[in-house]
Amino acid sequence: MLLAHAARFLARRGKGVVVLDFDFEAPGLHYKFGIERATAGGVVPYLIATLGGAASPPPFDDHMIAALVPAGAEGWVRLMPAGPAPHRSYWAALKELGDRLRLTDLSGRGFMALLDLQARIADELKPDYLLIDARTGVTELGGLATTVLADTVGCLLAPNNESVGGTLAVGQAMKASPRLANQKPLRIVPVLSRTPPGITRDAYYTSSIARLMAARGMIPEGSLPFVLPHDAELRTLEDLFGPSDSESPLYQAYVELFLELFPDASPASGT
Amino acid sequence: METNGLNMLVTEAIWRAEELEALGIRSELAWKEVSSLEEKLAKLHPASEPEGQIARRGAVSAALEASDYARAQALADGYLAEDGAPESLKAALREILEEDAAAMESRFPYASKHHSLREVQGWAGRLRASGAFGLAA
Repeated sequence: MLLAHAARFLARRGKGVVVLDFDFEAPGLHYKFGIERATAGGVVPYLIATLGGAASPPPFDDHMIAALVPAGAEGWVRLMPAGPAPHRSYWAALKELGDRLRLTDLSGRGFMALLDLQARIADELKPDYLLIDARTGVTELGGLATTVLADTVGCLLAPNNESVGGTLAVGQAMKASPRLANQKPLRIVPVLSRTPPGITRDAYYTSSIARLMAARGMIPEGSLPFVLPHDAELRTLEDLFGPSDSESPLYQAYVELFLELFPDASPASGT
Repeated sequence: METNGLNMLVTEAIWRAEELEALGIRSELAWKEVSSLEEKLAKLHPASEPEGQIARRGAVSAALEASDYARAQALADGYLAEDGAPESLKAALREILEEDAAAMESRFPYASKHHSLREVQGWAGRLRASGAFGLAA
């Protein structure tokens, strides 16, 4: 949901955005854009085609959907869903991709397929932002999406020991992970989500998490995680960043977070 | 097994792998068999003999056809370090690996413009050794 809101926010600021659903085991980002049925294409079928040695790159139009943007928005959003989920053909394709992708193959073929998709999007579609919905948990693909493919990682965690402990372990590993030659150091933006009313950005609990993160090199000393308060009513709205702005705390928190994540999308930058 | 027997087997295995490919059926297992048989032949013939050179080149090439890059690289490293390996064989082995790298770069032209294959292979090696996020290191 955060990713869909971010894409709409950026479109309203006149930005071009490509969104990839890399959550292959729980694909459903297209629903967040109001698309009930994904196309036959998507990231999984695209990667199968490129790994299979397609003579020419698969047409993006077969694998992407132009997502609706809020009325009056001058930007654009193109979504590459994971694939035709929940149709059975998707799960068959996912199994085939598992056989083909082989990210630990020392030839680098699997890595190259992922980097090729990312580079092709940059070269041909020239979006201002590429947003990737990565798998929760410790998976090879999730690791690559958040270390090799990312410049900035929005790292969502829940206010409980299990989530905080896991995030610290993964966040520290992400920061320690080597970067490719032409990449800047990875930036991690932690986000406490679905917080109860007592947990605010300046709460003692939040600052204690920040201390733990800073000690592991995840975030700079003195910076704080963002806090997205739980708001059951607003979370059901698909058009959070539609024409009618909200005064809710969650809306305000989203805006604050997005301005941190996307500094050149701020009104002061002229967009 | 003697050379003649192995030569018969490797010829049959090559034929099978090529037939599978022609039929559009995945042939990695067949090429793996070819590579193993060529490796056995290479052990029977020193690198100075023509038969030994053919077997060494075949073992590496077939491992690449089997998409087993790690095996191809390990075999090539071993053969390149052998005493008595002629320069022509060393050059041929390097050429086989370079051709495979070039094929990879042409298969992924966008990635190749921005990243070096060697660097990407290093990343794959780290993932293999240390797991996702390097947490298993």
